[in-house]
Amino acid sequence: MSKLLEIKHLKKYYGKTCGIEDVTLSINEGEIYGFIGPNGAGKSTTIRTIIGLIKKNDGKIFYNGKELDMSDIKVKESIGYLPSEVNLYKEYTVKEMLDYHETFYKKNINKRRKELVKLLKLDELKRIEDLSLGNLKKVGIVLALMHEPKFLILDEPTSGLDPIMQSVLHDILIEEKNKGTTILYSSHVLSEVSNLCDTIGFIKNGVIIKEDSLVNIKNNSYTYLTITSAEVDKIKKDLGLKVKEENDNTIIFINNIDANTIIKKLSKYNIERLLIEEVSLEDLFSSFYK
Amino acid sequence: MIKKEFKNNLKSFIIWSSVLIVMFVLVFAIYPFILTDETVESLDEMMKVFPPELLKTFNMDITSINTAYGWLKSEGFMFILLITGIYSSFLGINILLKEESDKTIEYLSFLPIKRCSILTKKIIVSLTYILGIALLIGVVNFIALTISGDFNRKEYLLLIISPIFPSIVLFSLNLLISTFLKSGKKSIGISLGIVFISYLLSMLSEVSEKVEGLKYLSVYTLADVRHIIEFTSISIPCIVISIILSIVFITFSYIRYNKKELV
Repeated sequence: MSKLLEIKHLKKYYGKTCGIEDVTLSINEGEIYGFIGPNGAGKSTTIRTIIGLIKKNDGKIFYNGKELDMSDIKVKESIGYLPSEVNLYKEYTVKEMLDYHETFYKKNINKRRKELVKLLKLDELKRIEDLSLGNLKKVGIVLALMHEPKFLILDEPTSGLDPIMQSVLHDILIEEKNKGTTILYSSHVLSEVSNLCDTIGFIKNGVIIKEDSLVNIKNNSYTYLTITSAEVDKIKKDLGLKVKEENDNTIIFINNIDANTIIKKLSKYNIERLLIEEVSLEDLFSSFYK
Repeated sequence: MIKKEFKNNLKSFIIWSSVLIVMFVLVFAIYPFILTDETVESLDEMMKVFPPELLKTFNMDITSINTAYGWLKSEGFMFILLITGIYSSFLGINILLKEESDKTIEYLSFLPIKRCSILTKKIIVSLTYILGIALLIGVVNFIALTISGDFNRKEYLLLIISPIFPSIVLFSLNLLISTFLKSGKKSIGISLGIVFISYLLSMLSEVSEKVEGLKYLSVYTLADVRHIIEFTSISIPCIVISIILSIVFITFSYIRYNKKELV
């Protein structure tokens, strides 16, 4: 699979304050890339640097194999962008806003607009200034998607949306993926993207700390090993694992040893109960940011 | 986009032009009733008391305010210069900054349109409105003067054209300044400051020959009213300097805006 977006050692400082220190990531064509990190980790700065709203201090961004040039109209036409905070012309109605947006595109984008408005149950007669946060987000989603972009950048797309609309948005994104659209999905909630994404990049303090496919992340992550035995102290010394919880004769280890080795090591002890559990994505996410 | 910009700026155009129109219509309406033989005589006596420097500041040394047209050439023209100057300055400083203050810049800059194209469209709209306000005031005053009495039509035409030059320079200068600003919070103060300081420098330069050099620091020197009244012709160097300054300021605005961080 060819890479649609490749970022190498991207750095952005606001004066002396670090926005992003070292962001290196790559997004394959047709995949949904989950860009995960807590608030202030550098997600929005990375996105704003990609789309040229702010200037990078260092690093390179490649799009479609070429260095990204956001002054190129064709490049802009091929990208859809939903900012985390949608700000539009307050004096317009939704219809006027979408009509205005249409005038910037040579191709007819009205058909997709109508489909999206219907799917998201948008009232086109309402004024932008009267819209709730969720409805404003919906307008932002229509604006980002109506020109059927090849690459879609979504910054916290579900914030403000109710669970039903979140589900509708996820369905729309799966439909987009099936059509071949590449999506960069930024969020601070891992569970939100875990059902959608192929690859996940974790950002912390402006640095990508882990980037892998969701399958690999799950397979290569640690497990929870729960043992109930009268010999827990001896087992603890023998295994040398980090303890998560300890209660009477039961101990929960954070385990990174394979199951066969564990069973061999434990064969000499009298074990009442043994449980190896897969770690949840939320726990994994938390472990990155501790 | 041009259509939207025209629509967005129409309200302020109507407000500013209405201020001038109402003021001039009122003055022209009441002036004939004020000017009786007695008041004209006492006005002439009063003028003799004023120091020549002060009279020169308002062009009252070369024109008399005992006619409506005379008032227009002195005090009236001062209002035209100031109000069109403030209007043009506000346009210049806000036309780009408003998008940043309202945070719509994130949407606008992601549309398939180049930054220089955004700027060009906004400049076209602004210049149209600046010319529009001058034209509107010109037409309204022309009608009012035609009704109220005889006046020098060529001189009047030149007088109405002349504020356009400092207005465009003020617009361009403010546009350039706006490309250095992050938000619109300080914009009104900066705009008003430039207009009033410029006008003050222009007035001070008329007071004494010692400070005559101050006129070179004021954009209002570019509307050379004395030259028009004395020679019934417009000063060509003023036009040339206005055009050069406007081109320089606008060119630098393009350069700055293309490099500017917009959020």
